[in-house]
Amino acid sequence: MTALIELTGVTKVLKGQEEPRTILDGVDLRVEAGESVAIVGRSGSGKSTLLSVLGLFDRADSGTYALDGRDISRLPERHAARLRSSHFGFVFQRFFLLKHLTAAQNVAMALVNGQGWLPRRERRTRVMTALDQVGIAHLAKNRPAKMSGGEQQRVAIARALVRDPKVLLADEPTGALDLETGTIVIEALLEATTRGCALILVTHDRDHAARMGRTVDLNAGVLTERVPA
Amino acid sequence: MMRLSGRARSALIIGVQGIRARKTRTLLSMVSLFLGVLAVVVVQAGASIAERALLADLELTMGLDGTKVMNTGGSAPGASQIVEDTVAGRDDAVAMVGVSAIIGEPGVRPVNEGASPIDQDWGGGSMVCDASGNCTDPNEGKPKGQAVEVRLTALTGDVRRFRPYRQQSGEWLDFGSQPMLAPRLVLNKEAAKGFERYHVPAEMRVPGASANLTPRFIGVVDDGDYQPRAYVRMDELTTWLPSAQLSDPNSGTEMTVVMAGATPVEQVLTTKLKAIGVDSYVETINSRKDQKDQLKLMRLIFLSMAGLVLLIGVAGILNVGLATVGERVEEFALRRAVGTPRPLLAGIVLAETLLTGLFTAGAAIGCCAAALKVGVMLAGDSIPALQGVEFPWDAGVAGVIAGLIAGVLGGFVPAIRAAGIPIATVMRA
Repeated sequence: MTALIELTGVTKVLKGQEEPRTILDGVDLRVEAGESVAIVGRSGSGKSTLLSVLGLFDRADSGTYALDGRDISRLPERHAARLRSSHFGFVFQRFFLLKHLTAAQNVAMALVNGQGWLPRRERRTRVMTALDQVGIAHLAKNRPAKMSGGEQQRVAIARALVRDPKVLLADEPTGALDLETGTIVIEALLEATTRGCALILVTHDRDHAARMGRTVDLNAGVLTERVPA
Repeated sequence: MMRLSGRARSALIIGVQGIRARKTRTLLSMVSLFLGVLAVVVVQAGASIAERALLADLELTMGLDGTKVMNTGGSAPGASQIVEDTVAGRDDAVAMVGVSAIIGEPGVRPVNEGASPIDQDWGGGSMVCDASGNCTDPNEGKPKGQAVEVRLTALTGDVRRFRPYRQQSGEWLDFGSQPMLAPRLVLNKEAAKGFERYHVPAEMRVPGASANLTPRFIGVVDDGDYQPRAYVRMDELTTWLPSAQLSDPNSGTEMTVVMAGATPVEQVLTTKLKAIGVDSYVETINSRKDQKDQLKLMRLIFLSMAGLVLLIGVAGILNVGLATVGERVEEFALRRAVGTPRPLLAGIVLAETLLTGLFTAGAAIGCCAAALKVGVMLAGDSIPALQGVEFPWDAGVAGVIAGLIAGVLGGFVPAIRAAGIPIATVMRA
């Protein structure tokens, strides 16, 4: 059966320094639709670089990357932008909300991106649905300055979900939150997997990693599957 | 209705959001650009108003471009008769003979001696000279009274084909009807002003005429002339004034033939006049084109200067634009992360600077139009050139174009920079 994501022998070397440094060393990863995967590892182990390659922010130096069975390893930037819009949702440690926009406008940002035009009414429906999915529809008209960290991160999750992505990539989304709020955010992310969306979570938090379907370790660029205890 | 593409609409929406989020910066950009756009609008408005004012009367006084004007150098007794006979009944050539005439009380000096404009005094009357060169003032010794002196132009046909006089009231001379003993006169605006101010008895004295005439005013035209002038049918004047008097330069007459570009009249008349020893010279009117060329040059010089001021404004927008992009690195990287293509990022920045340019153009056009209106209201009565002047639409178009060009020039580099922001910025943050 074709996996949603399939990395094979992906290598990424950081150049421009005195000695080239291998960040990803022959990474193999397979993720199915609706699956949740935690990537753990020490700082500098290449977790964020792996996420960059998965999210088409960056390109691997070698190896193949197949999405829905289609090789996208060498995709031109304009096609990559289209795929980022249609297939991926991103959540970062910092929320990256635009302070001059309301929560609803921040979420709508992912819809007003030049990849197809939606009428205002449909945009509004989708935005409110996404905000509802993360439980903050009542804050639609609030600006980020009037929201707590947890609420802001949930707005960021709603922005990631608003286009119904197939893959949700989260880079330490609870890093700036307290334990309780972090748990709420993880639940909001896991909720998306019930609708068939794959979740790939980079985290340092063992508890959050434990809530994922499986966990992979990234150590010095080498990925290993962690066997459940 | 024209529908914008999805990308253009996205760029506009995000651009407007950006402007609303940074109102002070937008205002600063507008301030830096305002003088440049205003300079362009003022130069264009000034040039258009000047062109309209100059060219409007030019065709009335000089004639339409392509018209040929024949003047005679020297005179002979039969010259006017030859001219009259040659152009009679033709519509491709009209003879115009100008003489002096005083209309009003008999035996008095006119209020405007020498046919000076009604509100000016040239300080002397028309002189009449004899063959030996002795000149005398026909009004010498007479008391000043209720009379207006005009230049009386006798026409052999309808001259408006060559000089498109604008009818102000009444009617123009009818050349198809029988001539009348009481000559019908059409006044120009300056002459009409005189007769409106001085309600004088209608008796007309023309030097050399067999009797004083009783004129009938039938209309008023705008002929662009600042001297009081009246137009009369040649045959109605020659009933009272012998033709020989019309070609006598000593009595201050002037003879001109205006004709179409291609007419045999020029050749025939030149030959006939040459035969009686009268030289003639023909000039083709090109005044409108010449004047336009001169105005165009002036406009270009002033627009270049305005362009330099505009460039300073562009530098202001560029400066603010680069600073803004520097502050918005994360926003642009995030937009790329959610699928916004690079060209749209550039479009967002350009939309912001273009809108800033448009707002500035609107402000500059509004200020210029308001200033002109106030100027016309305050000084319109004392400066005739300002009367009825309206803000020219082409100055508005020039302002909008200047604003758009400034927007493109000022936004181009920031747009390129925004499009080149690496997407991984959000991952490293």
